Amino acid sequence: MTSVKANAGALTNFEVLDLLNSRGASKDTTRVIASETVSRSEYKVYDYLMETAASTQTRDSVTKFSDKCKGFKLAKAEILNIINLRPSSDVELTPILEKPDEREIDIEGILALVQELLPPLPTVEAHKENEQEETEDGEQPNMETSV
Amino acid sequence: MFCLSELEDTVRVPPSDLNLPLEVAIKKALQKLFLDKVLSIGLCVSIYGIKSIEGGFVLPGDGAATYKVVFRIVVFRPFVGEVIAAKFKESDSNGLRLTLGFFEDVYVPAPLIPTPNRCEPDPYNRNQMRWVWKYGDDEFIIDDSCQQIKFRVENISYPPVPTERAEDAKPFAPMVVTGTIDDDGLGPVSWWEACAPISDAED
Repeated sequence: MTSVKANAGALTNFEVLDLLNSRGASKDTTRVIASETVSRSEYKVYDYLMETAASTQTRDSVTKFSDKCKGFKLAKAEILNIINLRPSSDVELTPILEKPDEREIDIEGILALVQELLPPLPTVEAHKENEQEETEDGEQPNMETSV
Repeated sequence: MFCLSELEDTVRVPPSDLNLPLEVAIKKALQKLFLDKVLSIGLCVSIYGIKSIEGGFVLPGDGAATYKVVFRIVVFRPFVGEVIAAKFKESDSNGLRLTLGFFEDVYVPAPLIPTPNRCEPDPYNRNQMRWVWKYGDDEFIIDDSCQQIKFRVENISYPPVPTERAEDAKPFAPMVVTGTIDDDGLGPVSWWEACAPISDAED
């Protein structure tokens, strides 16, 4: 076995989830029908990804986001991290960036872009909505319908 | 976390699969060979697609057909500096062990847990130790109740297969990811939930 290209391209969590979805993976507990095309170990990956931000993302939102990120002087690895984690606050974004102060990164701008383009996280979303009903200006409910 | 890798390999399709369409048979053989196995490039998660198939010769003395296949696979290979959300699995005096469901060998050694901390025997589980982080006057426990723990990848290592092992040693881990939770925003997600998201912050 030889590797022609060890790294033929990085994939976001969303793209892997999309691949498994197109093979027939789904959330139902029977999973008998799809077991021809999706093996048990692939299902473990699917289960993990469904709990991350990738489960609510769409191809459109991810492409738009990475296009707009070009204006922020971010490394490709950092854009990948942001798409995978969907940070919603300053403290979530800082461990992803390397030396943000020296590079003069616009943290507020990035967070605003995340809020605007990437759909909110899955299970946390229900919990957050109850907490932030009074303060949030209805942005999150709008995000749901667009997906 | 994941990336595509292009590989070329000689694949042997057993005679029992020769009635299947060629692509299906080769994919089946590839899955058996690569799925859920750790290669030098990482943990193989899924076959992405086949690029080319050549050959199909039957070697003397063998009933199977041998093909030379170029294909792409999805590999789990986190890069150093990547932040990943995982779940708590167990902890002992050396540090924490986290799991991703499909990958369970993520270790956070004691020096990479935020200081000051202390390790105490877990009152609920006699065999385990519990790590507690002391920040100011508050103490934060790291244990099963943490929903998600974010860590940053420090290092990935592929220990060589051991030739001899003690009877009660842990199952051999061909790929070990070392992570740190000693930074802003890392560690259990509940530690940082108190920090309001950007839209709520006052200007």
